[in-house]
Amino acid sequence: MGIRYLKKHAALEDIVTVEDAEGLFDWLKQQAKPAVNLSKCVHLHAAVLQVLLMVRPKVVGAVNDPLLSQALAHTQA
Amino acid sequence: MNQTELLDQFILEARECLEQVGQRLLDIEKAPTDPELLNDLFRLVHTLKGNCGLFEFKAMERVVHAGEDLLDRVRQGALAYNNDMADALLEAMDYTAQLVDQIERDGKIAASADGRSTQLASALRALLNAPPPAPPIAAAPSSQAAAAPATEPASPCPAWVEALPDQPWRTHPQAVIWRYQPEPECFFKGEDPWLLARQTPGLLHLHVGTQTDWPDLADADCYRCNLSFIGLSDAPLAYVEDHFRCVAEQLEVLPLSRLAPPSGAAQAPTSTAEQAAQRHIQTLRQRALQIWDDQVQLLNRGGARPGTVAAVRRALHQLLQALSDDTASQAQDSMAALPADVSAAALGHWAAAHRPADLASTEDSPPEVTDPGSPWPMPADEALTSPGQDAARRGAGDDPAHHKVLKVGQEKIDRLMDLIGEMVVAKNALPYLAQRAETHFQQRELAREIKAQYAVINRIAEDMQHAIMQVRMMPVGTIFQRFGRLVRDISRKLGKDVQLVIEGEDTEADKNVIESLADPLIHIIRNSLDHGIEMPDVRTRAGKAAQGTIRVSARQESDRVLIEINDDGAGIDPQRIRQKAIERGLIPEDKAQTLSDTEAVQLIFLPGFSTADTISDLSGRGVGMDVVRTAVERINGSVELSSQFGKGTCLRLSLPLSMAVTNVMIIEAAGRRFGVPMDLIVETVRVHTDDIHHFKQARTTVLRGRIVPLQALHDLLALEAPPVMNEDSEYAVLVVRAGHESVGLLVDLFHGSSDIILKPLEGVLAGLTGFAGTALMGDGSVLMVLNPKELL
Repeated sequence: MGIRYLKKHAALEDIVTVEDAEGLFDWLKQQAKPAVNLSKCVHLHAAVLQVLLMVRPKVVGAVNDPLLSQALAHTQA
Repeated sequence: MNQTELLDQFILEARECLEQVGQRLLDIEKAPTDPELLNDLFRLVHTLKGNCGLFEFKAMERVVHAGEDLLDRVRQGALAYNNDMADALLEAMDYTAQLVDQIERDGKIAASADGRSTQLASALRALLNAPPPAPPIAAAPSSQAAAAPATEPASPCPAWVEALPDQPWRTHPQAVIWRYQPEPECFFKGEDPWLLARQTPGLLHLHVGTQTDWPDLADADCYRCNLSFIGLSDAPLAYVEDHFRCVAEQLEVLPLSRLAPPSGAAQAPTSTAEQAAQRHIQTLRQRALQIWDDQVQLLNRGGARPGTVAAVRRALHQLLQALSDDTASQAQDSMAALPADVSAAALGHWAAAHRPADLASTEDSPPEVTDPGSPWPMPADEALTSPGQDAARRGAGDDPAHHKVLKVGQEKIDRLMDLIGEMVVAKNALPYLAQRAETHFQQRELAREIKAQYAVINRIAEDMQHAIMQVRMMPVGTIFQRFGRLVRDISRKLGKDVQLVIEGEDTEADKNVIESLADPLIHIIRNSLDHGIEMPDVRTRAGKAAQGTIRVSARQESDRVLIEINDDGAGIDPQRIRQKAIERGLIPEDKAQTLSDTEAVQLIFLPGFSTADTISDLSGRGVGMDVVRTAVERINGSVELSSQFGKGTCLRLSLPLSMAVTNVMIIEAAGRRFGVPMDLIVETVRVHTDDIHHFKQARTTVLRGRIVPLQALHDLLALEAPPVMNEDSEYAVLVVRAGHESVGLLVDLFHGSSDIILKPLEGVLAGLTGFAGTALMGDGSVLMVLNPKELL
């Protein structure tokens, strides 16, 4: 389904494609307290992952994909 | 698909694989450092090995496996590819091809093959420069990753390895670590490095990092990839490399076993590592037992057919081999004692009785872990990796979505061809029927309807024939492929430096034409190598490049295929040819001197001609170019030779595209009908008796200012009656081409032309000269087709 931009966070759902990366990047940069919800995310493209790693938004909710949560945890640590 | 079909498929694929492997080996010799070629070669050999594993062809698998290991090392750059290696590999592949032949013939490999295969395998392993750790590897095939680095010196750890936890050294001594740094522009190529990385086979750990530090958010470009993936995988090295093959240059991969573990890790390898290994063995064993139980259930279900029983038996046998401990080998022996046609119940009983024990009871004698690789299917995610890129990589032919290829045995197509031939003949009976309806039964209306129906059937049959012909078309490249090897082997043996250039290998022709070409072409190329191309020093002295060139080119011209074989060698010395022909008593001396140089060169086509004074294994037996010419003419082709002394020789073969259907002209002599192939006929004329000049026994006439010798077909075939004239006292003359001249054949009547399926004479009739073959006519009669060349 891609990304739903909500009031406090962006919800990344199902499969987030490479096209969504730029929109997400711009949106996250505008936020004072950037946050994303990855709980319904099945797969995200490497470009989107890169955006998340660059901006390091707060992650709301659980991350179901162990590899993804590991990847995000590593860089935040 | 039952077992025989599977086996047929295996043979087919193995042959194809071997052919390609042979080709790649030769290609690599030209470009030994081309990683693309090496990868391709490795993949082919790997496939072949995997296929062997499906069946119990140990002797074959042993050789191929050794080859695979060697190539794996070459591919990783641990060994340099050299000629010895090429020789050993070619020899091994030759032997494998022999084994495939044997499998096709007998369905199995004779036990005697073991010795030779072990020998070849150890010859290959000897090239791994380290002493082979365990020569008969087939007994317990270890994984490739494990086999290769056995004696490899430990290489220092790259710094990036530190990103991984140091546990793997203890728990997964066989694992490989890799670092994948996608190029910055990769997103624009449709790649998803994250997906690729996380789908790595056997992934144990994945670390995501950056290649450089993140730039300021303000001027960052989210579409420039700055990710770096470091992973740990317990799949064999080759699988990991295969997984990343599209981005091979962005990948670094190292087997852990080749690395010196970082400080600390080395001291504690024992207990935990062993425990992990034990755990693995236990899992494997449990899986094997599960399969065992499934098989037993299958047997107990009742109503199992003999095929199922045989399959179960094979599966059980494989399982026992995989377990390979003492009890398993005992069970294997007792299984061998079961009768070949054992019933389902009996086998079920046996299986229940001999079920291998759980690990708990055999813990003190840990069984060998078998290769998790080849005999088992590839990991499932292998198939998921970006299919688009795969297709581009492997060529459109392999991509199921674009191009579906059906592999069919040749004999099936041959059968189709025979059937359509009969169809054509049967169809040709309809006009006779129409004629009979009209003349015999006075049913003109019916006759017309039959003719109308005939037209429809005729059209369909022609289309069908055309379609089948298309199926039978094969690119000439299939036989050109063999030349590379031939040229390589012979030129090395003779100490010559020869380059083979092949052009137009995509040109297509009928399968039979192509196949009957193989031998003549090999002969011609051998001649070029042996007599044509000179030794390098002679060439340099003559002002030519030291490397000789043989150029084989094929192209299509209207309904014929032209194949030219050029060499830039010494050419043919007409004087020497004349002299040799006289020496061998092939032509009288006075005649030899009157021949022009071009004509003299053609003497090499005479049977029994040879210029070589000694008989070598290459030439000198006097069965040379005449065999070539006979073979080519048998398929209605022709050979032309031109040679410039000192410059080179050119042979030009002209062949029909297809030889399934022959157009013949039907003639009559002494009340009998004969066919004459249309492509040999120059014209049909009626010649008045007054225009025939008699000179002793010979008769000639002048046609369009040229003297044409006349022969009566009746005399040539020893028919009783003389040729008959029509009421204007004219003879019917069929002018045919015989070699370079035209000859007139006196016949009684012309009957028009017909398309026929020419069947060559077989059995006792095969020795009959003067006839090209026979054909069945629509009215059921047999037409003898003349071969004027042999007749005159």
